[in-house]
Amino acid sequence: MSFKAKLGGALLAAALSTTAFHGAFAADDTIKIGVLHSLSGTMAISETTLKDAMLMLVEEQNKKGGVLGKKLEAVVVDPASDWPLFAEKARQLISQDKVAAVFGCWTSSSRKSVLPVFEELNSILFYPVQYEGEESSRNIFYTGAAPNQQAIPAVDYLAETEGVERWVLAGTDYVYPQTTNKILKAYLMSKGVAEEDIMINYTPFGHSDWQTIVSDIKKFGSAGKKTAVVSTINGDANVPFYKELGNQGIKAEDIPVVAFSVGEEELAGLDTAPLVGHLAAWNYFQSVDAPVNAEFIKTWHAYTKNDKRVTNDPMEAAYIGFNAWVKAVEAAGTTETDAVLDSIIGVSVPNLSGGTSTVMPNHHITKPVLIGEIQADGQFEVVQETAAVVGDEWSDYLPDSKDLISDWRKPMECGNFNVATGKCGGKGS
Amino acid sequence: MITGFILRALEGKIVIAVGILLAVAIIVPALNLLTPPDSAFHIPTYVMALMGKYLCYALLALALDLVWGYCGILSLGHGAFFALGGYAMGMYLMRQIGSRGVYGNPDLPDFMVFLNWKELPWFWYGLDMFPFAMAMVLIVPGLLAFVFGWFAFRSRVNGVYLSIITQAMTYALMLAFFRNDMGFGGNNGLTDFKDILGFQVQAGGTRAVLFAMSAFMLALCLIVASAITRSKFGKVLVGVRDAESRVRFLGFRVENIKLFTFVVSAMFAGIAGALFVPQVGIINPGEFAPANSIEVVVWTAVGGRGTLIGPIIGAILVNAGKSFFTGAFPEFWLFALGGLFIAVTLFLPKGIVGTIQHGWNARKALKAAADAEKGRDAGAAPTVQQVQAAE
Amino acid sequence: MTFRIFSGAFVAFLLFACAAFAQGTDPKPLFNQLADANFNAAEKLVAEIAATGNPRVVPALNAFSEGDLYFRKSDKAVFAAKAAGSQLELIDPVTGESAGQVAKSAVTKIKVNNNLRRAIRAALGGLTLMSPDRGARLSAADAILRAPSAEALELVEAALVKETDGEVKARMEEARAVSLLSSDRSVDEKRAAIETIAGLGASGLGVLNSVSGTIDPGLKPDLDAAIASIQNEQQLWNLAQNVWYGMSLGSVLLLAAIGLAITFGVMGIINMAHGEMVMLGAYSTFMVQQVIRENAPGLFDWSLAIALPVAFLVTGAVGFVIERGVIRFLYGRPLETLLATWGVSLILQQAIRTIFGPTNQEVGNPSWMSGSFPLGGMTITYNRMWIIVFSLTIFFALLFVMKKTAYGLNMRAVTQNRRMASSMGIRTPWVDALTFALGSGIAGIAGVALSQIDNVSPNLGQSYIIDSFMVVVFGGVGNLWGTLVGALSLGILNKFLEPSVGAVLGKILVLVLIILFIQKRPRGLFALKGRAVEA
Repeated sequence: MSFKAKLGGALLAAALSTTAFHGAFAADDTIKIGVLHSLSGTMAISETTLKDAMLMLVEEQNKKGGVLGKKLEAVVVDPASDWPLFAEKARQLISQDKVAAVFGCWTSSSRKSVLPVFEELNSILFYPVQYEGEESSRNIFYTGAAPNQQAIPAVDYLAETEGVERWVLAGTDYVYPQTTNKILKAYLMSKGVAEEDIMINYTPFGHSDWQTIVSDIKKFGSAGKKTAVVSTINGDANVPFYKELGNQGIKAEDIPVVAFSVGEEELAGLDTAPLVGHLAAWNYFQSVDAPVNAEFIKTWHAYTKNDKRVTNDPMEAAYIGFNAWVKAVEAAGTTETDAVLDSIIGVSVPNLSGGTSTVMPNHHITKPVLIGEIQADGQFEVVQETAAVVGDEWSDYLPDSKDLISDWRKPMECGNFNVATGKCGGKGS
Repeated sequence: MITGFILRALEGKIVIAVGILLAVAIIVPALNLLTPPDSAFHIPTYVMALMGKYLCYALLALALDLVWGYCGILSLGHGAFFALGGYAMGMYLMRQIGSRGVYGNPDLPDFMVFLNWKELPWFWYGLDMFPFAMAMVLIVPGLLAFVFGWFAFRSRVNGVYLSIITQAMTYALMLAFFRNDMGFGGNNGLTDFKDILGFQVQAGGTRAVLFAMSAFMLALCLIVASAITRSKFGKVLVGVRDAESRVRFLGFRVENIKLFTFVVSAMFAGIAGALFVPQVGIINPGEFAPANSIEVVVWTAVGGRGTLIGPIIGAILVNAGKSFFTGAFPEFWLFALGGLFIAVTLFLPKGIVGTIQHGWNARKALKAAADAEKGRDAGAAPTVQQVQAAE
Repeated sequence: MTFRIFSGAFVAFLLFACAAFAQGTDPKPLFNQLADANFNAAEKLVAEIAATGNPRVVPALNAFSEGDLYFRKSDKAVFAAKAAGSQLELIDPVTGESAGQVAKSAVTKIKVNNNLRRAIRAALGGLTLMSPDRGARLSAADAILRAPSAEALELVEAALVKETDGEVKARMEEARAVSLLSSDRSVDEKRAAIETIAGLGASGLGVLNSVSGTIDPGLKPDLDAAIASIQNEQQLWNLAQNVWYGMSLGSVLLLAAIGLAITFGVMGIINMAHGEMVMLGAYSTFMVQQVIRENAPGLFDWSLAIALPVAFLVTGAVGFVIERGVIRFLYGRPLETLLATWGVSLILQQAIRTIFGPTNQEVGNPSWMSGSFPLGGMTITYNRMWIIVFSLTIFFALLFVMKKTAYGLNMRAVTQNRRMASSMGIRTPWVDALTFALGSGIAGIAGVALSQIDNVSPNLGQSYIIDSFMVVVFGGVGNLWGTLVGALSLGILNKFLEPSVGAVLGKILVLVLIILFIQKRPRGLFALKGRAVEA
């Protein structure tokens, strides 16, 4: 029993475990797609649902006969909320399992982690979550909302309909809230809001003691102007935040809170009766009254065998991304990456709010913006719906990105074209 | 003297382990680069990247073994040293991007541009130079370990208390690095690296070299660790672990001994982090998470602490298991990992290598007694058997 | 200020309407027009409905505000509705009589948004100022207090003349004062009003600030003085508020740490599965509430009381099994208990995730845990208050068990000198198992309380485990009083740092301070002395 054998065996095991096992499933008459969502760790709370949604979409597509006459097969891996593991699993999906496209990621960190892998190995990722923008990759499609598809219309609604003049921008201290708040602050100031009427506040992930901040908000709101809170507070911290709001007696009629990360799924863990009237801005709500949505919800309940399971906006984004990919593959007649990248731009598919969404040359999609008020049953009621908005990857309200555009069609094929200098590659040097 | 120091280190198993590592350092990249993809001997880039990652983890576990297995300091914050080394390397790689970032700003990394930073913070200075960055890989974790250890060991904080405050340290650092205002990229961390020393990070050749470097550094650190533990100093170290008060009464400056080991170990961890980052392509504050540091303890325990080779094997085995389970049975990965922790502590308290070594030594002793020879002492090699009993 | 302009217009209209129609108009057609109205039109309709002055529209307006107003698809007739099994029972908005039951698909809900709710609230305020019901009058006065307008002034004054109840009268005086400020009354009257409002404290600040731009220049000094006096007073209250918040955070830390003070502090087990015991306690609460919701909704306010023993028994039993199955083999190897219990915690987390799913579960707050009451210049929420009371109760109960009962004596004997205790006839394995079960059970009880303020998800325990260890180590291992003092002082420290440096930096500073403190006192605030320490 030597150490040589041990060490060699261990390395061999490492190599085999990943190759042999996945190789076993390979079959020629299927097209494989990867599902890259955390099933354990802190993000499992949000991402597990998306994994289920993807499996359902694959099953439905197979019932319709699959794609290009072949059945689809989903390869599910668990990156365990660990960002380097996302890159590793992405590499595994693309180079070992030979998937045609990957649907996955939730946090920006995970997307940033896999981005170089997708560009290096030339594969396609569909990213279904709202994010801060400021990115456009040849190999990634952003089917969630960019800030102009969520944050800005929400602020407009509050200012116009509710007459809000004083703003609290409260968020979890990470990149999405920081960027969104930067954009919002610039936007509000461009609309004539004074700097002292904007309060910005950041809290750590999973913050659970909101007493001080809620009472600060209350104080900030007693300056005699109509005040609203724009919340980019991350998933887990929302429940204690709303509980504290409710308990301290802040009603939506007094200080409404509009959130960008609170959907049906997050509300499922809450007694929403004290929250009626607080708002959220998304591109989809489960309560949307459209036949295609009713059908989707029915399928979802049947698939999960649970008629209490809610649907939410990232699920719609996954739905749009998946259908756009299917349509592009059928148009290209192959799942080969470059051909699909060519054929997918301009593809229009139905979205769940009754309209259609089109994949734009900047790899973002068009969708309507819906503002909803929380109801006592944990659902949202749409109080405003805009026409379809094109996702804007480079914000017009940040000084360094306002000159940038992205267009992945030939001949430009550039993610950061500078209209001021007429060159690809940002500011240029 | 130095040759003697190194020669002493090169004993039996260590020689074999170093030999294997060096062989791996050559063969794996060769098989990756020189064989055609459809050859039976071909090692795909993906597998090589994976193995490179395991080797970095193995180096981290080795670092922990040096303080835990030989000095009795159970650090629950070694992930912090690993991450700091990684950040030093990551910052170098970020600076190498230059004007190829999405905004094309030659001085500022992208995340600073869109957060409207106007100039580079002072702690980023100099990190565009490779030698300076490499020095930082050693100095930053080493300095933190020095300051932390200097306070902690002088005030004789030990045992559980020390473990808990090392955990507090890594937790505080995690929160700090999560803050965007710190200038380390917040939760997104540092990513989208382009090249290292002018070579493309993604290129096959660079990957092969990085892999070879990981194996080589692991071998080198193994030799250093072995030299330390086999020297007279190493014997005192084990003494500190097993009966700290007695060593102190014998006139040794226990705090200095601990401090030296702690700093060396932190530097090992820093090297591991620096090699880890270009291979996985991202470093972010998640690496500081207390749970990660606890996992390192587990790898070490699984392999066998106080054996130097054990932690390497433990780290590779557990991570290979993780890669397998998270792909094949995602839902059951935590059950398997949790079950492994319990099983190892209950049934293999000495870890895999420790148990084998124990059995080996016992057989040798038996044989020696039977042969009634003059009896080379079977207990000469540093063993861990007494430790647990002593506690 | 869309709303204020509107509400002013509305009240003017109301006054006019009162005089002209004198309660003669039938509100029913107005209700029916709601079926086709958008939000703006609906606002006008609400005003017109209120203007009929018919007190019988109050329940229907309330229903509208709650989102319970529907129109029948067949004839667009509008009804209030309440659930009746799977159907809806329609109620005539004016007469309040039942109009039969229909399927949900036969009617459409009339949407309501924040603006409408505000309009309805103001309308109801005007309609119910003279209501015979005292509570209704009080909330009417509140409604005007929240949305002051010059036009409401006369209504309030009219109501004031007839009002006899002391408290309602005082509230109406305040409502009159805030309304008066934006009216065109004389400077003297306004000066008096400012004085009244200054007495209101924080809630008066908004009103004063809102008129500061438009007020008569002669009154400006009075106004500024009033604002300054409120702000000064607020500063003192802020201090008290911070102490209170600190105590509240401290009590949460105490709850989370107190079970650990037994398993880790007294028994020396580095129990990384402690957080999961808290989580199991929270899930027990969820299960209890589920059962109650389905079988006996009336008992909901008692759900926490029922959940306490359930959680204690469930987590105590799990703790017992863990001790017998794993930990008893590891006594004397504290650092290895860390590994084994970490493994246990991973398994428990994943088990819960597999059974209940990864998402948050809804644990409701009983009515006595919801809401808040004002105390001077600060707001005290009931849930925080009860959690402080609850954590102290547990603490002292535990102290009693440890110090005054035979079992506590055995337990201390075993942990201080196992062999001696054993030779005195104490069944040490049994005591070990019970002690661990007790620590776990207490953690479960803490979970019941924490379920009221935090997420109930498989990650619940993880977020408390590090803080709990900090508290126990800071306070001094093996000393319950240390845990109490440690938890409260860390809580208060945190809350005093938070306003000046922010929540994130505050937490980092507290951790750094703990690390430094441990250097100074390696065994915590209240160190155990004696031979047991070196063992």
